Amino acid sequence: MIRYTLSLLIMILLALVVQQFIPALTGLYNSRLLLLTLVFLCASVTVGPPVMLMLAFVCGFLWDAQNALGPPGGDLMGVYKFPAETLRFGYSIVLYGLIGYLMQGIQPLFREGKWQVSTFLVGVSIFVYLISEYLLINFVRGDFRFPLPTLYQIVFTSAFTMLFSPLVFWVQFHIAERCGYEIRFEGLKHKKKPRRTLI
Amino acid sequence: MRPLNLVAFLLFLWGAVWALTRSERSVREIQRTYYSWLSPFLTNGSKMETKARSFLEEVDRSEKLQAELDVLRTEFERLKQVEAHAAEVEAENVGMRRALNFQKRLNFKATPVQIIRRQPTTWWQTVDIDRGSLSPGEPIKDHQPVVADRGLVGKVDRVDKFSSSVVLLTDEACQVSVQVEGTPEVGILSGQRGQYEREPLLRLRFLSAKARISVGTRIFTTGLGGLFPPNILVGTIESVQPGPIDTEALVRPSVDFTDLSTVFLLPTVNQ
Repeated sequence: MIRYTLSLLIMILLALVVQQFIPALTGLYNSRLLLLTLVFLCASVTVGPPVMLMLAFVCGFLWDAQNALGPPGGDLMGVYKFPAETLRFGYSIVLYGLIGYLMQGIQPLFREGKWQVSTFLVGVSIFVYLISEYLLINFVRGDFRFPLPTLYQIVFTSAFTMLFSPLVFWVQFHIAERCGYEIRFEGLKHKKKPRRTLI
Repeated sequence: MRPLNLVAFLLFLWGAVWALTRSERSVREIQRTYYSWLSPFLTNGSKMETKARSFLEEVDRSEKLQAELDVLRTEFERLKQVEAHAAEVEAENVGMRRALNFQKRLNFKATPVQIIRRQPTTWWQTVDIDRGSLSPGEPIKDHQPVVADRGLVGKVDRVDKFSSSVVLLTDEACQVSVQVEGTPEVGILSGQRGQYEREPLLRLRFLSAKARISVGTRIFTTGLGGLFPPNILVGTIESVQPGPIDTEALVRPSVDFTDLSTVFLLPTVNQ
């Protein structure tokens, strides 16, 4: 269990590094592959709530360290007193916890071998994550706007990221196998059918 | 809920509250530490990307290079003559200013920097540049103005050791005090949420209700507020929307944000 958790942490750090080099697809409304979020979501369905929450904290913290905008300054200080607010550092931790719990909700199905449901839920979770993030921006900055291209960006990002989830699940199964951690994925086990005998 | 899960949940909540209550200074320190750990990867990745891009460009443009070189040589000779003339005019200008005891208002000390990463975040319109606090040359500071050859680009948002982040004019967070050319109209210019076109439009607010401005008029920085120097071109008026209280206008930026490679850092006005 500890080895598997450490492996997940290393995988998250690697995803964070690789994320730096994944460009936004400008032709597809700036949609992109959210690798860090994907690795977290796939990991969160394979572990218990305490580990999931720990991973959510790490991912949210690192994500905000990477993306948080600085405070407004300059011209606004002397001319205009109502700067565009930005999201507070740490909000991603809460959002990651939220989508982590969403993934945990279908853990029984995942353990029964219905990984397709988890794959679909990865897309849904990313959609929920991005929508929440965008609504939060609208809330703190005021002047509610939801243009159609933004919806396209969210949908394409969710779908594009979801497509890669089977690959991440596959990697995590291999790591779990190496670490001796049992995800209890019943779909991979050969079930012995009881033989019918004639009395 | 099992006791272990409850304890984990409470710890998570405590951690989230702790992070949410960090001061701006602590957040900047966290980000500085984070990017200092990440900088070896970013530097190497950026070098690889630059090499790959320059190789592809070399292959693509090799046929045009000779022709361009000939044109540039001619242009260079012409510019040398212009420069000699400009130096003469400048010397004359300095003498006249001194004679009039005119205060020197503008001191453009532009530092060229390269853009190493575009649009690194989901929602913010930012780019990363290859100059940080430990880079040789002039020290870079938060909120330092960034310009390109065609006009204003944005301002420095975060300074790391060997790179920095620039928030572009197309982001809502970059708000600039501007003036409409040939009129007394002054307003606040900023980007708009959810703009994905190749040439996004900027929003100019707080013009007077009776503002008489026409499409195509140029917009310049005012220099008020102490960040952006005055008289930097920002864009041209695309459309005007008069309102009962104030007038708004949409502005087409003078800079093509999709084609930025080298930009210049300017010292802030109050520096």
